[in-house]
Amino acid sequence: MKSKEEKVKIITEEYIDDGEDAEEERQKKPSKVPRQKRKKQLPAASREEMVSENSPVDDQQEPVQEGSDTRLLGMMSRRGPRSLPPIPSASRTGFAEFSMRERMREKLQAARSKAESALLQEIPTPRPRRLRSPAEKESETECGMELDREVQRIQQEHDSQGHSRVKFHDSVRKIKSKPLVPPGFPSAEEAYNFFTFNFDPEPEESEEKPKAKNRHGANQEEKEGEEEEPPVQEGVSKTDEEEWLDGRDAEDLLLGLDHAVEDFVAIRPADYESVHVRLQREKELLFVPSRRTVPTYKKLPENVQPRYLEDEGLYIGARPEVPRTNQNIMENRLLTQEPGRRWFGDDGRILALPNPIKPVPSRPPMFTQAQDIKPELETLYKKAVKYIHRSQHLIGSGDSPGNFQLDIDISGLIFTHHPCFSREHVLAAKLAQLYDQYLARRQRNKAKFLTDKLHALRNAVQMGLNPAKTPKTLETTSKTINEYKSEIRQTRKLRDAEQEKDRTLLKTIIKVWKEMKSLREFQRFTNTPLKLVLRKEKVDQKADEEAYEAEIQAEINELLEEHTEEYEQKMEVYRVTLQRWKAWKKAQRAKKKKKKQEVEEHPTDEEREEPGPGEEPEKPAPPEPVDRAVIEQQVRERAAQSRRRPGEPTLVPELSLAGSVTPNDQCPRVEVLRREDIKRRSLFLKVTFNNKEVSRTESRPLGADFRVHFGQIFNLQIFNWPESLTLQVYETVGHSGTTLLAEVFLPIPETTVVSGRAPIEEVEFSSNQHVTLDHEGVGSGVPFSFEADGGNQLILMTSGKVSNSVAWAIGENGIPLIPPLSQQNIGFRSALKRADAISSIGTSGLTDMKKLAKWAAESKLDPNDPSNGPLMQLISVATSGESYIPDFFRLEQLQQEFNFVSDEELNRSKRFRLLLLRSQEVPEFRHYKQIPLYDREIMEKVFQDYEKRLRDRNVIETKDHIDSHRATVAKYLQQVRESVINRFLIAKHHFLLSDLVVEEEVPNISILGLSLFKLAEQKRPLRPRRKGRKKVTAQNLSDGDIKLLVNIIRAYDIPVRKPTASKFHQTSRSSRTFTEKHAASPTTHSPAHSADYPLGQALVRPFVEVSFQRTICHTTTAEGPNPSWNEELELPFRAPNGDYSTTSLQSVKDDVFINIFDEVLYDVLEDDRERGSGIHTRIERHWLGCVRIPFSTIYFQARFDSQEDEKLLQATEKFRAECALKFPNRQCLTTVVDVSGKTVFVTRYLKPLNPPQELLNAYPNNPQATAELVARYVSLIPFLPDTVSFAGVCDLWSSSDQFLDLLAGDEEEHAVLLCNYFLSMGKKAWLVTGNAIPEGPTAYVLTQEQSHYLIWNPCNGHFYGQFDTFCPLKSVSCLIGPDNIWFNIQQYDSPLRINFDVTKPKLWKSFFSRSLPYPGLSSVQPEELIYQRTDQVAAAELQDRIEKILKEKIMDWRPRHLTRWNRYCTSMLRHFLPLLERNQEDVEDDHRAELLKQLGDYRFSGFPLHMPYSEVKPLIEAVYSTGVHNIDAPNVEFALAVYVHPYPKNVLSVWIYVASLIRNR
Amino acid sequence: MAAAGPSVFLLMVNGQVESAQFPEYDDLYCKYCFVYGQDWAPTAGLEEGISQITSKSQDARRALVWNFPIDVTFKSTNPYGWPQIVLSVYGPDVFGNDVVRGYGAVHVPLSPGRHKKTIPMFVPESTSKLQKFTSWLMGRRPEYTDPKVVAQGEGREGGNTEAAIPKAAWICLPAWLTLSFCPQ
Repeated sequence: MKSKEEKVKIITEEYIDDGEDAEEERQKKPSKVPRQKRKKQLPAASREEMVSENSPVDDQQEPVQEGSDTRLLGMMSRRGPRSLPPIPSASRTGFAEFSMRERMREKLQAARSKAESALLQEIPTPRPRRLRSPAEKESETECGMELDREVQRIQQEHDSQGHSRVKFHDSVRKIKSKPLVPPGFPSAEEAYNFFTFNFDPEPEESEEKPKAKNRHGANQEEKEGEEEEPPVQEGVSKTDEEEWLDGRDAEDLLLGLDHAVEDFVAIRPADYESVHVRLQREKELLFVPSRRTVPTYKKLPENVQPRYLEDEGLYIGARPEVPRTNQNIMENRLLTQEPGRRWFGDDGRILALPNPIKPVPSRPPMFTQAQDIKPELETLYKKAVKYIHRSQHLIGSGDSPGNFQLDIDISGLIFTHHPCFSREHVLAAKLAQLYDQYLARRQRNKAKFLTDKLHALRNAVQMGLNPAKTPKTLETTSKTINEYKSEIRQTRKLRDAEQEKDRTLLKTIIKVWKEMKSLREFQRFTNTPLKLVLRKEKVDQKADEEAYEAEIQAEINELLEEHTEEYEQKMEVYRVTLQRWKAWKKAQRAKKKKKKQEVEEHPTDEEREEPGPGEEPEKPAPPEPVDRAVIEQQVRERAAQSRRRPGEPTLVPELSLAGSVTPNDQCPRVEVLRREDIKRRSLFLKVTFNNKEVSRTESRPLGADFRVHFGQIFNLQIFNWPESLTLQVYETVGHSGTTLLAEVFLPIPETTVVSGRAPIEEVEFSSNQHVTLDHEGVGSGVPFSFEADGGNQLILMTSGKVSNSVAWAIGENGIPLIPPLSQQNIGFRSALKRADAISSIGTSGLTDMKKLAKWAAESKLDPNDPSNGPLMQLISVATSGESYIPDFFRLEQLQQEFNFVSDEELNRSKRFRLLLLRSQEVPEFRHYKQIPLYDREIMEKVFQDYEKRLRDRNVIETKDHIDSHRATVAKYLQQVRESVINRFLIAKHHFLLSDLVVEEEVPNISILGLSLFKLAEQKRPLRPRRKGRKKVTAQNLSDGDIKLLVNIIRAYDIPVRKPTASKFHQTSRSSRTFTEKHAASPTTHSPAHSADYPLGQALVRPFVEVSFQRTICHTTTAEGPNPSWNEELELPFRAPNGDYSTTSLQSVKDDVFINIFDEVLYDVLEDDRERGSGIHTRIERHWLGCVRIPFSTIYFQARFDSQEDEKLLQATEKFRAECALKFPNRQCLTTVVDVSGKTVFVTRYLKPLNPPQELLNAYPNNPQATAELVARYVSLIPFLPDTVSFAGVCDLWSSSDQFLDLLAGDEEEHAVLLCNYFLSMGKKAWLVTGNAIPEGPTAYVLTQEQSHYLIWNPCNGHFYGQFDTFCPLKSVSCLIGPDNIWFNIQQYDSPLRINFDVTKPKLWKSFFSRSLPYPGLSSVQPEELIYQRTDQVAAAELQDRIEKILKEKIMDWRPRHLTRWNRYCTSMLRHFLPLLERNQEDVEDDHRAELLKQLGDYRFSGFPLHMPYSEVKPLIEAVYSTGVHNIDAPNVEFALAVYVHPYPKNVLSVWIYVASLIRNR
Repeated sequence: MAAAGPSVFLLMVNGQVESAQFPEYDDLYCKYCFVYGQDWAPTAGLEEGISQITSKSQDARRALVWNFPIDVTFKSTNPYGWPQIVLSVYGPDVFGNDVVRGYGAVHVPLSPGRHKKTIPMFVPESTSKLQKFTSWLMGRRPEYTDPKVVAQGEGREGGNTEAAIPKAAWICLPAWLTLSFCPQ
């Protein structure tokens, strides 16, 4: 296989080598890819194409002579230029994408055919191939067919190595097997025919062709490649395997007869090699390691026991898992091959590193979630990061807004060297430079300074030497003198150096000037206006000389002194060394002596003992003594050299630009060219700030003096602290582009440098530009010389100076516009850290004051810089520790930014306030709708009520209430109510699941049973039970959705009109009570009076009118005193503010009034004559009575909350649970909630309390009367249902004193008070809980008289016998005494049918029993009740006011009619009312008689109303509900009288007598 | 800005309940109503509506398409309490009882233009397995007392032990309902 692969490769290469470059390149790339394919398809394809292409290839062949080298070469050279591949040209050129493979095939084909033809040729002309010279062979192989080569190689291998034959055969077989005999291939017969013919030698050509091609393409490589091949081969150049085989066959045929045997096909049996033999042989050759376990001793050195490190407690990692057999094989192999045992460890096992495989994969596992999110598609959330560009250098938000300004003043540019400099310019520049130097030196005048210093020092030394003058100690003096002396020495040296420098400088200046002058002369023109003038300053010859001499003398002296000192020192040294030398010498001598002896003794050791000759110290030479003359000589020489000679005039050079420049026309051409070149040049500067170009100067022409004046000031408005500030010098030559000459780095000014104060500075620059010019200009970076011979070359670079000034601008207010120091980075690179506090000490460091202070100190913050003010203050505060540093952490430190208006402004906004109040559920605004959009649309008055309420919280308003005490009470109630409501507002928002989700109850067995039972129930029971209506949730209700349904069924015992007189009709019993519920024996009236009635009417024609929220419905009119209506009245219900929530509904105070009227028809016909033609009647209605049902009774939702106190509670819970289990309908009252919201055991409320004494005194002998009076007193305390006062809250029980103080309460309070009174009166009394008719669940009082029980209604003072059917109490569930509770466990709960004997445990389940004895609970009631007498005057006043108000109201209700008041009647009624109060029942008849007598000619219809007094409003309502005002007879008159009777403790009984009078004609 | 009354702004909503995806149910109808704050009042159009019954489409989408129009106009003085549309979807169960299949609510879009909203639907879950079974049997699934509660936040807060509403009250369904709006 390998050979084939190679072949294919080679074929491609061959093609590439082909001369066609264009295609070669194109196809090089694709050739790599399809190689594999090609390999496979090659044989098949070749077969196909062979037929078609054989002939054309053959046609192309030319006759060429074979065999001769020269011929071949010649032919090669001839064919070279053409060198067409033997493939159809069309296929080559036609397809742009000519596939490599195809070409290969063609190639192969061509080669094959060629070879064939070659073969054909060869056979008839048998060439003794063996005899061919190597050269010839080479020439043939040179044809470069790699195929050939390959074949040859194989052949060669075949020849040389025996075993390679097998391989070769294999390959041949493989190749052969595939391309069998292709269709176009000549058969043996054909071949034979061919062979017998005589052929033209043409086919040879085809053989040569590829050769030529290769020559052309890659001659050299080919050659090299071929040379490597051994020349042993004998193969002809053959292109294909087949050919080769053929060739070989032919060869065999041709070569010798020895092969004859082989030539004939000999059939031999297959060689059999027995397995054993083979194995035997293999055994010899192969080594098969055994699989058996190697005994340990073999693996270890002899006599060594295996050592198990692991057992010795050393850690060895886990060995990698290798199968035992593999291990054995390996061990065996190692033992055999490398007997060194170095592969084995101490334990006899192969050495192995610990298992590198970790038990846990270190790469996190990739959970490929089932097609959900591909990891690469997963989105990553990154919080948005605010883009801060160049944060370090930017001014932070906290800093002052950065508009800083840097003023850059660029005044000009001077070149110290420029390519256009002429030689003269060079010199001039040099001269100018030197002169500048000179000026600078002269200004400093260091020499003078040093001279002066020297003088001073000398004086000092002289002074010091004179001990008389200096009082100092000798030691110090000498020391100072020594110091002075050394100082003098140094100063002198310095001075000398300076003087020498001055002098040399001067000399150089003069020299340069001379050079310049000579140059000018030489070139005969002047280029520069420079002119040096040497001014001689004459000096006083004599003085000068003296000074000179004195100086020299002084110097000589000093030097002499120095030298003597030195000499002495040296002498000292010399002496010491001499001493040492002498000693050494002595020792040496002694040694030598010794040595001699030793030499004698041990002559052999001589050499060793010989000391090195270098060790011998030289004999020190004594120092030379000081010679004054020599020193003087030296001094003088030096003076002459460096100093002005005495008397010599001082030379002062003065450089001026006064010289004239030779005009152009007098200059030679090169110079003119140079000058013109200069004129073409212009320069500008770019200002770059932080490597960004910020501005550029104008382009200015280069002056002849190489100066450019800019004079421009740039104001850089910057935000960042400058990092770098550069000026770039650009030069423009003519119209060609600009070139950057150099960059000038400007120093960033100090913060103190501000505009106006900044000096102009010159900054040098230079460029490494190389310029050579073809004129007089010297160029730059190019060597040139001033001398004719070109010696002393100079290389000058373009250089110059920019004069500029950089300063910080000053702002309008005089503050320099400098970025704050915090961002300054002094030496930007290193100081980044220092400049930035956070990066320097970390963010946490900012809170650490010490660190901050340290940082501030380190970074040298300018404390006077206003921008550092806060920081400095902070630091000073922190370090001094005086001031308070807040240790709090502000959570919303940015809150300020979000406050769009100030709080005050926000509070001033009416709208906001409204919204806020609504959100707080302030009652006034809780249901406020459509809060206006604008403040201006909100009326001030919206808040008035609220504000008034807030204001009046503590002010008692008496106006509405007339009576001050009531006002107080009302206020108090209001407050309690508010607080309670607020407490429950929160609870309101808590929802239970049942509030939200309607879910069917899980049917338990009982319900299931019931429902099963229901199935068996009669569909239409005879006595249908009332089915509860489905509960309606309040959320989606609106006005009109709720209707109040009132079923009026029947009435009993309605009073009838008494036909006393024909002309006087009056409702008979109207005066008796204000309600019909009266226990007194009903006086049944026989309906036998109908005959008396003029129109034949029944004695009473009652109808019922139900009014609620001022909506009135009435039934039809029935006849008689026991009517039956059976009607359902519907009254719409409107919730206050349209809010149907629980709290809102509970606070509905509206009552349902059920009034009974008597309808009376009056004949209004004036004239009896008209009776026949028409009936004129007027319907009048006369109020008979009313039932008032508070809405709170109708809407009652019990929800209990809040508890406290006692372990008793557990017992109560248990008790209640037990009771509820047996009688779920009977309410078991054990604990109640008191005013403060605590749960209190109910018996604590019962305790004997004294009634007002005056009541007791009223009927001293009649306990029953007293009891009635007490009951009346209690009933006069106004009724206020808890659900109204504490809307949304449950029952609250107030104690009796609270009740009396409040003068308001519901049934419970009344009952408790009454019960307590009875207890104190010595009666046996209990509180009865149960259901009564108008009130619903309520509390009554039960008293035990001698033989019977009485049930007292505490709210109206009436009492009923136990068996009174009209008793409103319909069921009894509980009896509560002062010390126990009894629960009714009798079958029935109607008072008629139960036994009130609580001692019978079968009938009454008591709470406290033997098992749970009464613990003696303290009472919540006070010890005693204290009563004040009510003010009579106040009562009278109240009476007047009520009367006035009511009269006004009645007039208001009759807007279309005139309301006349009958004063006479009113006064009469007024007299009558106190009688009613005093004696409620007996006055009736007298009163009627009285009325009859007084108002004989009036038809009188009136009734007294009796009410406890609470407020005016209920009185008005009551009057309204009577409908008195509805009488619209034209001549009607009214009478109204009010009487207020005061009882102790401000309990007021109000009587109102309303009447209408119609005068009878 | 009328001189007479207080100034209000109007929110006109046109749209339609387009379609729903209820993979498990078919033959559903939909009710909608609006929940809005105190400062809002409807001035025109229908605040509530009940759609026709629709069947699943026969194509692969299996969409329940109603294309039930909504057209209502509100006036308001305060963006607070911006109207929300509450949708409840009902359909027959196995026994033919009409049961609720999903509740959902979404605010009317704040910006004018055509909006398409897809809202997830949910129903309250029975509190126990037994309840679930019986409710299934009796065809009386747990429902909200009022669909409007889904647009209210009250009662959803946790940590209130005595009045905690189990999470069961807000169970999401693999159902969506698509609405489109054009508020102006």
